[in-house]
Amino acid sequence: MDFVFILKVLKSFPWSSHVRGVGPRGFPLRLQATEVRINPVEFNPDFIVRMIPKVEWAALLEAADTLHLIQVPKEPIQGYEHNEEFLRKMHHVLLEVEVLEGTLQCPESGRLFPISRGIPNMLLSDEETEILIYLKKKKKKKLS
Amino acid sequence: MAVVSAGPRSGPAPGAHFFCTAGRGLEPFLMREVRERLAATQVEYISGKVFFTTCSDLNMLKQLKSAERLFLLIKKQLPFPVSSVSKGKIFNELQRLINDDPESWLNAISIWKNLLELDAKKEKLSHKNANPLKRKVGEDDITAKKLKTEQIQDIQETKECQLEKQIEEKILEQGNFITEGEKFQELQNDVTEAVDTRNQTNLTFRVSCRCSGAIAKTITAQEVGRVIGITLMKQFGWKADLRNPNLEIFIHLSDIYSVLGIPVFRVPLACRAYIKTAGLRSTIAWAMASLAEIKAGAVVLDPMCGLGTILLEAAKEWPDVYYVGADVSDSQLSGAYDNLRAAGLEDKIELLKVSVTELPLPSESIDIIISDIPFGKKFKLGKDIKRTLQEMERVLRVGGTIVLLLSEDHHKHLKGGEARSGPLNSLGGHTEEPGGEECLTPAEKAAVSELVPSSFTAGNQECLDGMPPLGSLVPVDCYRVSLGKTDALISKYKKAYSPGR
Repeated sequence: MDFVFILKVLKSFPWSSHVRGVGPRGFPLRLQATEVRINPVEFNPDFIVRMIPKVEWAALLEAADTLHLIQVPKEPIQGYEHNEEFLRKMHHVLLEVEVLEGTLQCPESGRLFPISRGIPNMLLSDEETEILIYLKKKKKKKLS
Repeated sequence: MAVVSAGPRSGPAPGAHFFCTAGRGLEPFLMREVRERLAATQVEYISGKVFFTTCSDLNMLKQLKSAERLFLLIKKQLPFPVSSVSKGKIFNELQRLINDDPESWLNAISIWKNLLELDAKKEKLSHKNANPLKRKVGEDDITAKKLKTEQIQDIQETKECQLEKQIEEKILEQGNFITEGEKFQELQNDVTEAVDTRNQTNLTFRVSCRCSGAIAKTITAQEVGRVIGITLMKQFGWKADLRNPNLEIFIHLSDIYSVLGIPVFRVPLACRAYIKTAGLRSTIAWAMASLAEIKAGAVVLDPMCGLGTILLEAAKEWPDVYYVGADVSDSQLSGAYDNLRAAGLEDKIELLKVSVTELPLPSESIDIIISDIPFGKKFKLGKDIKRTLQEMERVLRVGGTIVLLLSEDHHKHLKGGEARSGPLNSLGGHTEEPGGEECLTPAEKAAVSELVPSSFTAGNQECLDGMPPLGSLVPVDCYRVSLGKTDALISKYKKAYSPGR
């Protein structure tokens, strides 16, 4: 599946190599979150059922891991359409968790895209990118 | 179209006559909407107005999205003979509107009262069985409350509303006279005394009047308002109240019809409670979305979303859909974000800062694209329009739909060169349509603007004529709509095949 559709979690769409600095199409971007908000959303099982086939599961697992979210099953459970417990879990992970501030990073090129006020910015100039990568490296050095 | 169910229909039987005002060019959308949403019958239109009959209650009527304002029809008749130039004769005709046919007035008033009472009853009911689990009841509750507040709005709000209405009417009918009866006020004092004794129904009213076409040359809206006002007081014993009346009477005299009605809601339908800051006109945004054949589970993209008006209109009507909005401007995106939060739709719509010519989406991953392509001095897309469309074409799946709002210039560009630009301009509201059945009187110069634009009967075809496919995008529909000062074209395309393979 070349579709990475993880709303509110990765704020991530099916990225393609069409944009400078993003690797091969559909590559899950790595998420770093500095500010996360939980918004209660009315549970709509039909909506979630329709959404699940569009989720790139590997990316979801990684995102759930970085965000320390509830345990996400390794793959969609058989017969999930009628499994309310599973659907409620997915509802929470997909719709209620919003990354307000953070970054998305292309694992291939290392290019960073900031998320600010919940909106990912894929429009960076090259200089901006360099600054961000520099800052990130600096941060890593500090940590180590 | 998703018909919103709002409980059992308990409107007045066998159906009340209504009319809506609409932005020019939106009439076909409104006609379709009243048929589908309200199961309306006897649907007909003139430029800027759609007439229909329905049994729907206020909650259902409130759902209308492509209309400006809703009126209960008192009566509609052929215009006064234009040849009778004398004012006296016209005054006479005006009085006869009331004196010759008091039943249709009383009938309309009783329907109007019924509608309001039904709504008030529903409000009480929903208070009694307030069930927190059922969302619909809650919604009824809110709308009922809103209506109540509408009724007891203070004067200031009324004034605001009037202003809004005036602006909106100016957009709809340029060059017409608008009066809210200011001059009428002087007269009020003289007449009220005479009427007091006969005041049985205890109704207070105000007259809003508009004259256009030939009649506007002979008589002013103020004069019409005055005559109608006095006649109503004499006939029914109602009391004039310009500031906060129970009832407003709306009159529009034109070369096509004399129309009299009662505005059903104070706030125009086009003023959406759920839109904080509007970008594109909400009615046009809704009309575009209604063309896009949105189905549950679809992925819908507006790659130049601005303040997100199209997405908001679409997400309210077709909720179980993934919406994605993109823009390059921080201020627009931030406005869109505030709008989404205010509307409570932030879980349905994703925003993304990205350029429309460089979408980070794989080819053929999107089901529907809807977008208002910016134009004007500020936006010189020029030839970029083709590049923009190529990128849209790439991300759209085969069989997917694109609905765009295009300026004349963009439309010409896509049509292939300026060579044929001449006739297109003349297609708008200024073309006479000899076959138009609504043209009941010989067209006078002033009447031209009232004639039915050719763009939405045969014009649908005319707009399409000579539209070559853009790569794999095949034009299927085209509607000319008015944005106020300028016209624009709602154009629909379908992706017919996969160009790469």
